[in-house]
Amino acid sequence: MTLLEKMDRLVYATRLDHVVFMKFQPRNLRWSPLLVIVGLVAGYAVMVKAPVVTLPGFWIGWLLYYGAFLAAFLVRAFGPRFTPTARQPLDERELMIKARAHAISGMVVASCAMFGCFYMASAGAPFLWHPHTPYEWINLGFGVQAVAMLLPTLVASWLQPRLGRDQED
Amino acid sequence: MSSLYNRIAVFRAERGVSRRELAEAVGVNSQTIGYLERGDYKPSLELAMKIAAHFDVPIELLFSFRPFESVADTLRRAAAAGERPQ
Repeated sequence: MTLLEKMDRLVYATRLDHVVFMKFQPRNLRWSPLLVIVGLVAGYAVMVKAPVVTLPGFWIGWLLYYGAFLAAFLVRAFGPRFTPTARQPLDERELMIKARAHAISGMVVASCAMFGCFYMASAGAPFLWHPHTPYEWINLGFGVQAVAMLLPTLVASWLQPRLGRDQED
Repeated sequence: MSSLYNRIAVFRAERGVSRRELAEAVGVNSQTIGYLERGDYKPSLELAMKIAAHFDVPIELLFSFRPFESVADTLRRAAAAGERPQ
């Protein structure tokens, strides 16, 4: 057996083909995206509290934050479908759910950005936290990206009714 | 908004067509067929006509704004009238 054949067998044995070619059925993830958002916020808060690499809390915060960041991609991939594949384009129901979910989450993200700007305007006020270092700003940017990916999945999961048992597979 | 009732599940069972087969025939995800059967989603006119064409029946036999009579009631009524159910 050649190396390529072995690798091909490995892909099918580990069921990686289901992930790569998106062969699985989408699921309503309900609260899972919100848990990942909570993980992002908690991880960011821990990193801000322990901003130096040598502090013990830093790596806990870093792992929590970037673990949640990676989870955001997975949650989007396994949640309601937003991306058509070659085998299966989005049907009319999925397109409608996608449009409504992105419209609602876009409004939420825009509102958060607006209130964030108002909050940042108070940067000079004492006792109010705001990002200081470039590292904190970069992390905040990644966080906004992750939340913008998770919110449509969260909204879409609640827009469509719960799947019947016989519909899940 | 009024409810839209359908008999997709009945026709599917009668013809021995799985959700996946029907979904592939009309170009939607099989979960969408499930949502349709449960009345959780109202199809577009195009999708409704595609499903009716797949079963080769007029669209009004498949979709209605009034609940369909159950199969048991139809048989009972036919028996009472002395008809042989088709």
